[in-house]
Amino acid sequence: MSTTIQAPTPAPGGSKTPRPGVGPVQRNRLIASSRPWLLLAPALAVLAVLLLWPLIRVLLFSLQDYGLREIVSGESNWIGLANYGEILADPTLWGVVLPNTVGFAVLAVAGTVALGTGVAVLMASLGGFWRTVVGSAIMIAWAMPAVTGTYVWVWIFDADRGIFNEALQAVGLQDEPVNWFTNRFSFYAIVLLNVIHHGFPFVAITVLAGLLGVPKEMLEAAEMDGAGPWRRFFQVIVPNLRQVFSVVIILSTIWDFKVFAQVYLMPGGNGTNREALNLGVWSYVESFGQNRYGFGSAIAVLLTVLLLIITVIYVRALLKEDEL
Amino acid sequence: MKKRLLPVAVLATAVFGLTACAGGSNDGDGSNADGQTLDVWIMEGTNPDSEAFFDEVGDAFTEETGAELNVEFVQWADAHDRFVTSIAGGTTPDVAETGTTWTAEFADAGALEPITDFVADDDLGDDLVEGLVESGTYDDELYGMPWYAGVRSLVYRSDIFEELGLEAPQSWDDIVAAGDAIKAAHPEMLAFAVPGDAEFGVYPWVWGAGGEVSVQNGDTWESGLASPESQEGIGFYTGLATEHGFSSAGATTWKETDVLDNFAQGNVAMALMGSWTPAAILEKNADLDGKFAAAPIPGKDGGIAPSVLGGSHLSMFSTAENTDLAWSFIKLMTTGEFAEKWGQETGYFPGQQSLLTETMDSDDPLVAPFATQLVDGGASVPVTPTFGAVQAKKTTNTAIQAILSGQKTVEEATSDAAKEMDEIMNGN
Repeated sequence: MSTTIQAPTPAPGGSKTPRPGVGPVQRNRLIASSRPWLLLAPALAVLAVLLLWPLIRVLLFSLQDYGLREIVSGESNWIGLANYGEILADPTLWGVVLPNTVGFAVLAVAGTVALGTGVAVLMASLGGFWRTVVGSAIMIAWAMPAVTGTYVWVWIFDADRGIFNEALQAVGLQDEPVNWFTNRFSFYAIVLLNVIHHGFPFVAITVLAGLLGVPKEMLEAAEMDGAGPWRRFFQVIVPNLRQVFSVVIILSTIWDFKVFAQVYLMPGGNGTNREALNLGVWSYVESFGQNRYGFGSAIAVLLTVLLLIITVIYVRALLKEDEL
Repeated sequence: MKKRLLPVAVLATAVFGLTACAGGSNDGDGSNADGQTLDVWIMEGTNPDSEAFFDEVGDAFTEETGAELNVEFVQWADAHDRFVTSIAGGTTPDVAETGTTWTAEFADAGALEPITDFVADDDLGDDLVEGLVESGTYDDELYGMPWYAGVRSLVYRSDIFEELGLEAPQSWDDIVAAGDAIKAAHPEMLAFAVPGDAEFGVYPWVWGAGGEVSVQNGDTWESGLASPESQEGIGFYTGLATEHGFSSAGATTWKETDVLDNFAQGNVAMALMGSWTPAAILEKNADLDGKFAAAPIPGKDGGIAPSVLGGSHLSMFSTAENTDLAWSFIKLMTTGEFAEKWGQETGYFPGQQSLLTETMDSDDPLVAPFATQLVDGGASVPVTPTFGAVQAKKTTNTAIQAILSGQKTVEEATSDAAKEMDEIMNGN
């Protein structure tokens, strides 16, 4: 970095000095190389206090059996890697929590990106007026708080009075009301609807911005060469939007991995239905519900590491080396 | 400069010394606390008009002690987190309302000040409601001063019972008989709601059949949920839904709030509900006025099945600077005039036995049965911070929901729950 910033040329009088360089020039270079850091210092200091220190604290907590008693006394209670051992040895993690979390995240990311891209393509082909109408409509879905949205879906699928059960019974597809929240798969199907509905507008708006930036000439040239709409989309537009897609996919993955409210607020999703536990709810129930802050910190560290690995893999796969 | 400042500093030290003396020399009543402020946290929503109530308490408190009262209202939902963060930051109030299940937890963490001696000095010990003393006691010291209590009993639609010529159930057989009659006459209603996510609705059946939730045996806790008695109780309760069809598919994932909502909408004929719910039911649906009543929860062959006594303590935090002043406030709130007034305004029962006995004479069908339940059948869940962890993990709720949804049999679910309870309560 520092080499790109040229030290200011010495004062005109400097050329008269027989031995240049020792005093002022070196000092100038030092100032020049440290200047960017000096300018960054306030921001870095704020980040260190607000982000780095909490991160380090979480790391330190994860190596302790840290509960309410330790909070009151302020004492440390080091137990090494025992928290990590307990997490990784828990059969619930491998049998229920991880499959639910990963399976759900894969489906939710795929669904969100596919639907969002579809809507973006639709909006790109609309005129100004209808684009505003569709844009506003999906913005409302996006702006709806997760809690509100979740309750709407819960009411739709309510066993005794939900519109979904009533419709199925009216059509004659089922005789008795079914509680869709007690089964693991129907439970997550509802969460999936909720999360995709809430998450696709972000993808749509971002991809639309990218779509509008694709040069018209390229598309026209491809059409002249006989490429159909599918081919134009996958071979001209998608490669052009690779960076947009990578950002959208990485962010969606992180969000869908950490989904909490949409599961916790569902009937049985707060830990009563053990088959429906995901990483967010499980870590909350196991750690904060039981005042085991050390254990919770260890889960947070593992989740961060896991998401970092996934992000690195994505970035490597989606972007070529020279684009980094 | 230095020379001129010195006398001021000496003076200031002297003043502080004097106030410290003043505080110390007035042991017992905490009066002459002029200029001091007592910080208090109270849960929001228990009393619909708590501002006015505490204005009055504040005036009386200032008159008695000379100190100002600073009351802050806290939401139940955030309260536990706020306590934990304020404990971590050393910014706890002097006195706070603590839910009965939290008192032992905070005492165990060392955040509370024992009040055993204060209670003994003022000779109040014999006149406190026993269930609240039990949940406020940890390691043989009292940490939570009984303030108000509530209890869950059987609430039923008296209009429908009258229509069908039914009496309030006295035994389990009565419940089934009433349920069958209601189901036949009103198939659109839930004859008896069995919610899958409400643990306090489960324990009365365990105790009513002679079982135990968990018993301390020396240093270890032994869960009794898998005993034949407990299994019979849980089997009967869940059987109301699975065998008799009195409940609904939706109720499998209901919480207590869902029971309340559905009862208020007129969808439920019988359910276990708290003594604080009738007011909320009428607020949601005034048409139900006079159409429902309460009865103590019947034991298997009659008698009263114990039910968990909920409510709040007033606890003194160890950050309180003037413990005498803090105690004056606690005493003012939990005894006599203000305790009685709080009970009248909130619909809860006072934590003082002599006041509670007065309410038992009430002829209100929504007060007397609850008071009877509280006095003759009030019980506590195991008083240990580890039981809080059991509740957080929803061990009991999980078992009930698994039985209702058909994932597990009564035997499987109860033995899994007992095993998990033992693991958590004995620290693995």
